[in-house]
Amino acid sequence: MSHTGHRDDLLRVEDLTTRFYTEEGQVNAVESVSFDVRDNEILGIVGESGSGKSVTALSAIDLVDSPGEVTGGEVWLRDAELAEEFRGESPDAVDGDFVDLRQLPKGVRRSLRGPKFSMIFQDPMSSFNPSLTVGEQIAEAVEVQRRASANPRSTRSRTQGYGLGKLLFDSVVPGREYTSDESRERAVELLDQVGIPDPVERAEEYPHQFSGGMLQRAMVAQALAGEPDVLFADEPTTALDVTIQAQILDLLRDIQQDRGMSVVLITHDLGVIARMCDRVGVMYAGEIVERGSLEAVFDEPTHPYTQGLLGSIPDVDDPAPRLEPIEGNVPNLIDSEMPDRCYFADRCPKAMESCLEHPEERAVEGEQGHTARCVLADGEYDPERALDESHFEGGDGE
Amino acid sequence: MSLARFLIKRLLQGVFVVWGVITIVFGLRVIAPGDPANVLLPPDVNPEVRQQVVADLGLNEPLYVQYWDFVTGIAAGVPEGLYNIVMGQPVGGLGLGTSLTTGTSVASRVGRSLPATLELAIMATVVAIIIAIPLGVVSATNRHSGPDYGATLFSLAGISTPNFWLGVMLIIVLSVQFNLFPTSQRAIGVPGIFDLLLAGQLEAAGDGFLTWLWYITLPAITLGTYFTALITRLTRSGMLDELGKTYVRASRAKGLPESLVRYKHVLRNTLIPIITVVGLQLGTLVGGAVITEFVFDWPGLGQVLINSINSRDWPMVQGSLIVISVGFVVVNIVVDTLYTLVNPRVGFD
Repeated sequence: MSHTGHRDDLLRVEDLTTRFYTEEGQVNAVESVSFDVRDNEILGIVGESGSGKSVTALSAIDLVDSPGEVTGGEVWLRDAELAEEFRGESPDAVDGDFVDLRQLPKGVRRSLRGPKFSMIFQDPMSSFNPSLTVGEQIAEAVEVQRRASANPRSTRSRTQGYGLGKLLFDSVVPGREYTSDESRERAVELLDQVGIPDPVERAEEYPHQFSGGMLQRAMVAQALAGEPDVLFADEPTTALDVTIQAQILDLLRDIQQDRGMSVVLITHDLGVIARMCDRVGVMYAGEIVERGSLEAVFDEPTHPYTQGLLGSIPDVDDPAPRLEPIEGNVPNLIDSEMPDRCYFADRCPKAMESCLEHPEERAVEGEQGHTARCVLADGEYDPERALDESHFEGGDGE
Repeated sequence: MSLARFLIKRLLQGVFVVWGVITIVFGLRVIAPGDPANVLLPPDVNPEVRQQVVADLGLNEPLYVQYWDFVTGIAAGVPEGLYNIVMGQPVGGLGLGTSLTTGTSVASRVGRSLPATLELAIMATVVAIIIAIPLGVVSATNRHSGPDYGATLFSLAGISTPNFWLGVMLIIVLSVQFNLFPTSQRAIGVPGIFDLLLAGQLEAAGDGFLTWLWYITLPAITLGTYFTALITRLTRSGMLDELGKTYVRASRAKGLPESLVRYKHVLRNTLIPIITVVGLQLGTLVGGAVITEFVFDWPGLGQVLINSINSRDWPMVQGSLIVISVGFVVVNIVVDTLYTLVNPRVGFD
């Protein structure tokens, strides 16, 4: 583990790599991604559709489903208790107060979802089970943590002591549901906290009786049930009306500030990033191509892709006659078709001969915590050495 | 809409369905070859006697009169039968008439056969559900593993095995070769077991139950195999479908243990469409056990139906078909009600 991290780091993700094994071949959805999340901040991850933003978040909290698999990397979480517990057992997985979640048993990783991590998704309508009441689903999330703190041992088993037989029995015998009255009361409180009017009545309603905005609020309430330290918000406003989007973003920020928690906000919307985030990572073709503070990345973008993204936003004060699109298309991430050169070289207006070698992430000269996966981070563009079309066999951009 | 209004509406609809069935059954008799009088009388009978018999049966009346008599007979007979049940008296004929061959009441003959058919249909369904749902769950949650391939193979075999062949094979192997089960018939029925219970003969009732189970095993397996295979497939594909949905990922993200995700969320949602299929299939089993009943000489409605068709015993054919259709309608109302209770997205309307 590198010791260059910031002292407020809560989560350090290093070289996280995720593959999908599909019929078309191996898909490199996340390619050696590193980022860190600090206490009490909003970190933005921005990129086009298919750039690997969501899979990055899912990989960090161990929620990638088959045919996907996290194949490499480290996820260091600051947790003194866990570090103490595993220091003797697996010393490689512990570094100071940090533990590498990828080296911990699966049950332990699962037990961290809720109290350490939580996640909200793009489409609230499909993120709730349609046949249980919203209150019940939030109460479940509370109940898991309640039972976990009452009996820490069983927390990490796969079933937590609630096997099929017990579940069937409980669902048949009245008054023996999984959730307790306390959990259901807490669910109502949570609904109230996220600004849902009449929370007592709404808790008894089903997801289809909610509007999209209200349901996304409920989703936030559900994610807060375990009191997480880091909330991953995957395109939380994309499926909502513009007016509702602003409300949900305000809610997220208020909650982040009130609770002093950290939020990883994943979006394709640069406006949302500018409005919400302290720091930002830009993803392209499964890699984080540039990251740093919001000011550094937005005011002094180093990577030509970031420059292109920012150039594609219309400016009300200075309407350009034409927006400048980035030529070409995003590569499809199939392993056999990924070039050895920089993934952006085909579309890059500043591609040089040195771009034929895949660039490492490097610090941008003279700026603290600002890195880019680009030769321009510590070099200058030299038109003499520019690449021409002949270097790309049948590129997409023609 | 309230549950009561829903039930009243469905019952009224059911009455119309049954009326339609009565009409079709009547029409079948009209167009089917074979004069009922020929069944009753020897071929060389005196034409005057024959005329008399036809007149007694009402067969020389115009069709609309025959139809009217048939429908009004049932319309008057059913309420009378219900009244008799409430008053604790014998049910009566229900307007279904008497058998041409035996001269006994169609209603009582059908009534005696109905328990045997219901027992068989329900046992087949119970066997199917007990085997199919766990098999489907194991199959879906261990996709592309040994158990999954085994379950898929089983369901393919089950769906493609004709039950007359399966029944005969079970008899040849398990009954004749190994002498494990009786080859045919039904030694005692559930009503008989209840009679023993009510009479306080607990030991005899217990023995009766075991005997009943012994006799019904092979017919129930035969009738239930296709159904088991079907539900296994539905459970597997339904569960895989549900497991791919975002709410499953959201449930895991909020920290639920895998058992809760699988059974409380995924399995429950998978069962919603399965309830519909089970209901429809149960209705089909009531009417469709004909072949199985024939193979095992099981004294149910299917046997009555086949025998009465062979002997052109039209009142008996009509009575059996009407009772089967009523069973179908009732099962469907029950299933729709259950479905609405399980699935909150569907209201009573």
